[in-house]
Amino acid sequence: MTAVNTTDSAVPARRSSSAPRRAAPDGARRRRGSAFDRLLPYLLLAPAVISILWLIGWPVLSVLVTSFRKLNLKELTRGEVVWVGFDNYAQILGDSTFWTIALRTVLFTAFVVVASVLAGLLIALLMRRVGTAARIALQVAMLLAWAMPLLAATTVYQWMFDQQYGILNKTLVKLGFDSFAGHSWFTTGTSTLGVIGLLIVWQAVPFLAFSLYAGAIGIPKDQYEAAGIDGASAWQTFRAVTWPELKPLLLMVTFLSMLWDFKVFAQIWAFKRGGPDGGSTTLPVYQYLEGISKSHFGVAAAISVVMVALLALLTVAYLRRLVRSQEGEL
Amino acid sequence: MKGWRGLAVGAAAVAVAVAGCGTSTPSSDSGKSGEPKTLTVWLMDGSAPTTLTDALNKEFQDTHAGVTVKYEVQKWNGIQEKLTTALTSNTPPDVIELGNTQTAKFAAEQTLLDLSGDVSSLNGDQWLSGLKDSLTWDGKQYGVPFYAANRTVLYRTDMFQAAGITAAPTSRDEWLAAIEKLKAANASDPEFQALYLPGQSWYTLLSFIWDEGGDVAKAQGSAWAGSLNTPQAKAGVDFYKKLVDASATKAPKDVDEATPQQSEVYGKGHVAMMIGLPWEVGTAAKADPTLKDKTGAFPIPSKTAGKTAPVFLGGSNLAVPAGSKNQDLAKEYLKLLSSKKYQDQLAEGGSVPGTSTDTAKLATTPVGKALAASAPNGKVTPTTPAWAAVESGQNPLKDMLTAYLTGAKSLDQATGDANTALSKLLAG
Amino acid sequence: MRPKKVAANVAAILIAVFFAFPTYWMVTTALKPRIDLLSTGYDLIPFSLTNVNFSTAWNKPGFLNALGNSLFVSLAAVLAALVVGLLAAVALSRLRFRGRKGFVLLMLIAQMAPFEALLIPMFLMMRDLDLLDKLPALALIYFAVTLPFCAWTLRGFVNGIPLELEEAAMVDGCGRWGAFWRVTLPLLGPGLVATSVFAFVTAWNEFLFALSLMKDQTKETLPVWLSGFQTNFGTDWGGAMAASALFTLPVLVFFLIVQRKMVGGVTAGAVKG
Repeated sequence: MTAVNTTDSAVPARRSSSAPRRAAPDGARRRRGSAFDRLLPYLLLAPAVISILWLIGWPVLSVLVTSFRKLNLKELTRGEVVWVGFDNYAQILGDSTFWTIALRTVLFTAFVVVASVLAGLLIALLMRRVGTAARIALQVAMLLAWAMPLLAATTVYQWMFDQQYGILNKTLVKLGFDSFAGHSWFTTGTSTLGVIGLLIVWQAVPFLAFSLYAGAIGIPKDQYEAAGIDGASAWQTFRAVTWPELKPLLLMVTFLSMLWDFKVFAQIWAFKRGGPDGGSTTLPVYQYLEGISKSHFGVAAAISVVMVALLALLTVAYLRRLVRSQEGEL
Repeated sequence: MKGWRGLAVGAAAVAVAVAGCGTSTPSSDSGKSGEPKTLTVWLMDGSAPTTLTDALNKEFQDTHAGVTVKYEVQKWNGIQEKLTTALTSNTPPDVIELGNTQTAKFAAEQTLLDLSGDVSSLNGDQWLSGLKDSLTWDGKQYGVPFYAANRTVLYRTDMFQAAGITAAPTSRDEWLAAIEKLKAANASDPEFQALYLPGQSWYTLLSFIWDEGGDVAKAQGSAWAGSLNTPQAKAGVDFYKKLVDASATKAPKDVDEATPQQSEVYGKGHVAMMIGLPWEVGTAAKADPTLKDKTGAFPIPSKTAGKTAPVFLGGSNLAVPAGSKNQDLAKEYLKLLSSKKYQDQLAEGGSVPGTSTDTAKLATTPVGKALAASAPNGKVTPTTPAWAAVESGQNPLKDMLTAYLTGAKSLDQATGDANTALSKLLAG
Repeated sequence: MRPKKVAANVAAILIAVFFAFPTYWMVTTALKPRIDLLSTGYDLIPFSLTNVNFSTAWNKPGFLNALGNSLFVSLAAVLAALVVGLLAAVALSRLRFRGRKGFVLLMLIAQMAPFEALLIPMFLMMRDLDLLDKLPALALIYFAVTLPFCAWTLRGFVNGIPLELEEAAMVDGCGRWGAFWRVTLPLLGPGLVATSVFAFVTAWNEFLFALSLMKDQTKETLPVWLSGFQTNFGTDWGGAMAASALFTLPVLVFFLIVQRKMVGGVTAGAVKG
């Protein structure tokens, strides 16, 4: 139930994409070179960096160290230290199901990220075109979705997709799709992940839509006017004006979405515990099954390390782009 | 300074620190009334009736001056994490309740206090054998049986009467015949279900498999392997489907009896039978109080007429964490709980008491009588530490049932797949 | 153009329905009498209403206590994450110094940490700090977990404020701090509000750490309290939904209070553009 890795807990951060360029990109304060001035940035950063290194860095390091140990309940409660070298990694990487799960996780993440970013973008652009009433309705509805607790949202979705009592099947039957009477949405892993994916997209879109909306209304009007005079179609306008302006922001939220969606656990577990037949098991679920369910904490730690490595691999392109970009961008 | 921080701290420091709380250093704390002490007791949500626990805690405090019992009811949700972390803390609880299917794991990992030496003072000769097996590991006892219950068929006496069924079914054939009669008598009610049986009620499935002479897993030396692909197990699964088809239950095929709570469905009054635990009648009565008097029970019928089918003995054990600081007090608490007075109260509450063979108080209600009648035929899941992961993780039996019932897999395929998955889980 | 506009509005309303429906379903389920809950009939609109589930939830022991605990840990985490995050954001956005890129990367990479997997090391850490069963432990963890995102996001907001404004104030005789205090901070209002929503919702929803680190039941937070509706024998749907609605309410109130500011911030951004 960690809200941290679920997108429902984010915020419509108004990161206007063009903002960094408007703000003199090269910063300031170069005038005097007193010791205090040179120290100032580090002083300002100190509380944050110390907190992160202490409260996140240290536990992460422990996980890394643990991944080379055998640590079951017995060793944990008695404080025994048993080194096993790379055994845990050998066990995971030698397990054929691991590769299936890893591939599934990557595909699922890709699907959910693309779907939610696309939906967020479309809604953001839609919000600029509709009347005030429709826009407020849209905003309130998304706020409601966002405010709904993770636990409650998951329960409600399970309930809506229930085979017998679910409102969805009943509605589909009412609409004439009789084959949905008693249709089970959870007999295959793909179908189960489809429902879970919908839930995650539903939770993720408000943040994305609000952020992109903020970015979109930051685009100077005259640019559109210029495009309009040229007699451009909506698509051409999008290509010529909106896309280049929104691209940095889009990349940014896509990156964040990848981090969050890759690590989604609570929702997947709540539905079918990664079933049926392990068909909706993703890496975080696998990690939980080994770690908490079987109490093999060493193996679970190794899975976590592999997960982070995989995530770093997936996002390295974006991170490099950031590092290489000009100072003001970063 | 244990566990994960080993590297940073150094092995020697770890060893020293551990001696303080990891191993079972007996603390001579009983009888001394000088220092105030707190005995922390964790029982699970919905286990013992509050009247019992209130009286028990009061009596314990009254007879142990200076001792406060900190009694806390734990929620089922997230209990694995909570127990894992609690057992690792410097001040773990002193008495914990463990499901009988998970006790072996905690015992095998040496997180519990060995109570073998105290068995006789804890009414050891009257322990419920099914539970005793579940808490015995390597010939030693790591807990005390708390209570057990098994499922019976709960039924609406008025509906049976209206359908012309005079006696409770005592064989599978009679059971199926009763279903047909009930369906015929209630044909006008579109919401009617002769039997509410969700697709993943795997405890019920155990009964059918055992009744056929099969089992879910077999021990081969110290290792366990699934036996779901045996003809007996397949016959059990097949009967489950037969029952689902015959009863035309509207229950979802991809959930167990908890979602939706089957007692709530029963409470709506259109269900003639459900396979459940005694206290589920109470939940149903919240929706319709008259159900209490209109509900009877009979043991799950066997394929052999006149016998009852073996049933899964669900229940709990009580254990003392190895790191408890009040081990002697904890033992005394357990001793008080295993006395006749409180065991009788457990029976009255509708469950089979763990440390008393006297079930007279249980057999006073119709539901209790059926329970007491089938309890001697109670069996438990394989007593291997690996079994806990079957229930706390992905249960292959559930997937097997859904796959077969929805027609996604053939009987051979469903049982074969589940057997492979189960064997893998049991191998650790 | 006209039909296009209508189509867009219709689409917006349909999307709004899609997003609002689960909330509608939560509230109506909570208002349904027990007997109507598991209906096979078509119950999109409840047949009859009752407040019995709400009173069950309200009267379930520990609600107000859990509410208080949740408010404490959430608000403490939000406040700390904002202050510490803002300091870091100002440094990363306004100042140039060696290792700046590295610090920015740290804020990003810290968000990759697998939160669930940190349960046991964090537990041991809090145990050794003697913070188990103490609410500040939770506040500390929620603070740490939201800090990288807050610092990163606030950096973006600070970037959005023209440096010329601050420099003008400094020319007018304000010191560096005065300029920051009088010019930058007020303009950052919407950014702080938006960031605080993220931190608040994160802390408000967290379950696993709250469950494992607080053994003492008087230290229960709302998500843990809410999970009490789920037992081994099933879930009390009506009660759980009513409790969920009560659980959502404070977040909604928080949203409504800050919403105007959020929109205001968005508009301000537009004006500047």
